[in-house]
Amino acid sequence: MCVALKRGARPAAAVIAAIVTGLAVWLTWSTYGASYTKMGGALPWLHGIVDRPVLGIFIDPLASLMLLVVVPIGLLTVLYSTSYLTEKNREHPVGSEHYGRYYFWLLLFISSMVGVAIAPNFLQFFVFWELTTLCSWALISFHQNERSLRAGFKAILMTHVGSAFFLLAILILFVRTNSFDFSALGTLPDGLRSWVLLFLMLAAWAKAAQVPLQTWLPDAMEAPTPISAYLHAAAMVKAGVYLMARTVSSGWAIPPGMSLLMAGMALLTIFVALSFYFVQDDLKRLLAYSTIAHLGYVLLGVAVGGLGSTLGFQGGVLHIICHGYSKATLFFCAGTIAYVTGTRTISELRGLGRSMPLTATAFFIGLLSVTGVPPLACFWSKFMILSGAMRLSGPIGPLILVFILCETLISFGWMLYIGQKIFLGAPLAVVQVPSDPPRAMNATLILLMIGCVAAPLVGMPLVQLMGK
Amino acid sequence: MVDAVRYVEASIVVLIVGSLVSLLFARRRKLCGWVSFAFVCASSVYTGLAVVGGCKGASGEHTILQLPQLGSRLTLRVDPLSAIFLAIVALIALLSTLYSVRYMEHYAHDKVAKFFPVLLLCVASMTGVLVCTDFLFFLIFWESMTLTSYFLVTFESENAASQRAGLKYFIITHGATLCMVAAALLLWRTSGSFHFDAIRQTLSALLNTRPFLAHSIIFLFFLGFATKAGILPMGDWLPDAHPVAPSGMSATLSGALVKLGIYGLVRLFCSFLVVSPSLRMWGIILALAGTGSLFVGNLTALRQTDTKRLMAFSTIGQIGYICLGLGVGAYCLPMYPALASIALAGAILHAVNHACFKSCLFLGAGSVLYRTGQRDMDKLGGLAGFMPYTTGTTTIASLSIAGVPPFNGFASKWLIIAGCVLAGMRFPLFLVLGLIALFISLATLASFLTVLGSVFLGKADPDIRTREVPISMIVPQVVLAALCVLLGIFPQLMLRFVGHAVADVTGITAAGVDASRIWGGLFLIDGSPVAFWSPLAMLAALAILALLSYAIQRAGGAQVRSVPVWYCGEEHAPATVRYPASSFYLPFKHAFQGIYPSGKVHVPRFPAPLRRALDFDQWLYVPAVRAMDAAADRVSRTHVGIPQIYLLWIVVGAIVVTGILLWVKG
Repeated sequence: MCVALKRGARPAAAVIAAIVTGLAVWLTWSTYGASYTKMGGALPWLHGIVDRPVLGIFIDPLASLMLLVVVPIGLLTVLYSTSYLTEKNREHPVGSEHYGRYYFWLLLFISSMVGVAIAPNFLQFFVFWELTTLCSWALISFHQNERSLRAGFKAILMTHVGSAFFLLAILILFVRTNSFDFSALGTLPDGLRSWVLLFLMLAAWAKAAQVPLQTWLPDAMEAPTPISAYLHAAAMVKAGVYLMARTVSSGWAIPPGMSLLMAGMALLTIFVALSFYFVQDDLKRLLAYSTIAHLGYVLLGVAVGGLGSTLGFQGGVLHIICHGYSKATLFFCAGTIAYVTGTRTISELRGLGRSMPLTATAFFIGLLSVTGVPPLACFWSKFMILSGAMRLSGPIGPLILVFILCETLISFGWMLYIGQKIFLGAPLAVVQVPSDPPRAMNATLILLMIGCVAAPLVGMPLVQLMGK
Repeated sequence: MVDAVRYVEASIVVLIVGSLVSLLFARRRKLCGWVSFAFVCASSVYTGLAVVGGCKGASGEHTILQLPQLGSRLTLRVDPLSAIFLAIVALIALLSTLYSVRYMEHYAHDKVAKFFPVLLLCVASMTGVLVCTDFLFFLIFWESMTLTSYFLVTFESENAASQRAGLKYFIITHGATLCMVAAALLLWRTSGSFHFDAIRQTLSALLNTRPFLAHSIIFLFFLGFATKAGILPMGDWLPDAHPVAPSGMSATLSGALVKLGIYGLVRLFCSFLVVSPSLRMWGIILALAGTGSLFVGNLTALRQTDTKRLMAFSTIGQIGYICLGLGVGAYCLPMYPALASIALAGAILHAVNHACFKSCLFLGAGSVLYRTGQRDMDKLGGLAGFMPYTTGTTTIASLSIAGVPPFNGFASKWLIIAGCVLAGMRFPLFLVLGLIALFISLATLASFLTVLGSVFLGKADPDIRTREVPISMIVPQVVLAALCVLLGIFPQLMLRFVGHAVADVTGITAAGVDASRIWGGLFLIDGSPVAFWSPLAMLAALAILALLSYAIQRAGGAQVRSVPVWYCGEEHAPATVRYPASSFYLPFKHAFQGIYPSGKVHVPRFPAPLRRALDFDQWLYVPAVRAMDAAADRVSRTHVGIPQIYLLWIVVGAIVVTGILLWVKG
């Protein structure tokens, strides 16, 4: 539709996104506390094996939570893009001839994420999952220069490694059980189930940029900043952790070994990502590593859930929404900085707080929220993950507690240091060209700041409905 | 009658609303200040009502929010202990806001939008900390308080020192908070609840069953509270953060915020631990930590030439006194309740008194800064003639902090040291600590004499043109100085509430301090009356002596001669002959040179091999992709374009396939 509109792509995209957001909120509201299934399309070539329709809509608290991340942040991304992608952008001026392409992919991205969120079984999940990969490839390479093309290629290549395993897992599942349902996983024999889970986990690791497949995400920072924000906060990488949350919550029959592996890899990821904080001079790359770490948190929570602590699972899922809004705030701030100053190199920035007070406020709120300072959003989810871990018997809980608290303190210190470096201090000459960012960008930042505080308020009632 | 809790809730709501409203007026400096002041006034009235209600006994609990899956409830309650600290917070917040209305003119470059709204939120979270009875929400209020105060410390965004200090402050205190998170979660693991009562029960149960775990938990809590309170070495953030904050905020930090650490320690050791034998060990640790901080803090204060930094070090010192009192109290709780109540009452009273005089001192330093732009005492002098009110209030506060009778510092230090001495008769260590504390009072006096001598006395520069600060800045200083005098002469007024709070929080009934007589003074009772202090009697004696000496002077007809100081006949500018702050007490400064070691923190370098090992692209993916590429290249080399060779491939392939088929079949 946007391709057709071309000239009017911007307002059209915004309107469509707004309508979808309204729909998502309505869906959540109307299905609150219950689950809703409506199956539509069957696959003709599967007649005789699966007669039930396999495509449709499935909404439960987990899906509504995901919708509340995917769609509103999508709307904000569109809103932000309307003023970010213009000729006035100092980092990457974008002419209006590219709008059609951009908004087409962006809206497709949002819709494919919606498809993932409401998928009733692995098959539909996989179809939309691949669609997100495709969209992210197109959007990462949007600027079509050497670096962004390479980054896009890398992203599609590495996530496809994961997708291959996903496909393998689905095939095994289908061959053995004649079903694509999430719950079919529980009917597999133990040994095979572990393998299927391992393959699914590999898929999730690739998608969510976890060790050992994490390296595509920092390079994907070549994308336009709103896309990075959406990719990190709501789409793509969140699909990976959403897959694990779905898998674990459908049946709760995860072998403890697999859960331990997931938790161990999550912790490893968190620390590997942390170790990369200290050498980043590119603001967006720094944020990318922080995303990797936080997806590790989600997986840690889900793994704790797999080990038997519902609270940990709830915390992990809550972290999806809390991290979504906080990280989106940070990325949009980084985008605003790049828009105004034309650079996102940390060492070239200083004293921005004077000329951009709103951005500074938003950045600090986002930063403190992401690092889990109470009373902001991520504190709640981190705390729930930790308390969930403490519910487990044995030494795992205290061990996780110690590791996570260490990581929290270090990343908090470093992030705060970077925040001070960028926004406080005497302004450098480079940044003393304060043309206030356009209103749409400011509005986005204000809405996201509210999100940073209010995300747990929305998420908490939803996650309380989850569990065995 | 409305319950006290409701008043506190109203107060918090007023502050939050006030913060939003003052944000709206942020463009107009003074108006924003006055609007904020109006809201703080309203909230202080509500808090005051709550204090009045809470002093008599614990109010009912009011639950606002429930998180059943975490076993946590946002529950508020006012009890006598929190009432006392609430009173401190409300008073100091009110006066500092009033003071800041005009004071903030001093910062021409920075907008007040990042001061008043944040200050109000900070006060709101401090109020929340004091009334919360659920540890999860306690932590949330606690960290909101740190967060807001961080922004107030880094208020001067172009001042590199203030950012360094802010960063240090936030990182150290956040680490301490995480310690408390760990402690709370470890306890929650056993009890499944964050409520204070549950914590108390679980902790006492754990002390019997798993003492190591229980002591680790106590240690983590101690670390968390002591860091905020500024006990060395964890309180290292304090001397950096206090001087760089705007003076109104320095006063709030030192007067109110740091006290919440003390509040936490009192709750922990007097309420959570109930009366268990392990309290003795922790009492000794607390007392040692307190003595260490008072020794180092006050002696380091001697060495300072920056007014606010000096006061910050002296805060560490005074917190040391409070901590010493708490330690003695905690030690005595299981065995000698009357003695414990003396020491604890002394500690809490000293917290109240410290809020009065230290805030007054910071405001005084702020007034000097406001008029002269200087914190460096070497460059100041002779301000007494220009700023009489500030001089007067600072003098009173200085004498109070040094513990000169009849000001309020004396009464509380007397109680603490009496507690030490009395406990020292049973356990001699406390006697030693008491004596150290007693003599360190001299160092306190000496360090504040430096302030008085070099800032206010001496000859002023002839070209100095300064005057007294505006009335809205004088009033807070005068009120605080008046409180110093009032609480010094009538310590009973406060001690009644303090005694009540101690009895309520510890559950001991034996009163060691008899404060029932308004005019008669204080009696210490340890079985039988052992000591008494009557400020009025002493004042009367002093007055008689003064009259006597005046009469003698008149009778003797002594002549008073007023001549200029003789500088060996040379003419000197006042600045060169003034006795500068850095020249005071040189022998002491030499003797205690290395007492407060300081060093720069360097981020350790990340080991390069590990960095390479973690860079998966370098050694895994890029080579893998290259290898794939090379392999593809090699395969493509088979496409030579000669049909015969392709035919050969087909034949070879057919043979291989047939071979495999045959092998599989047979």
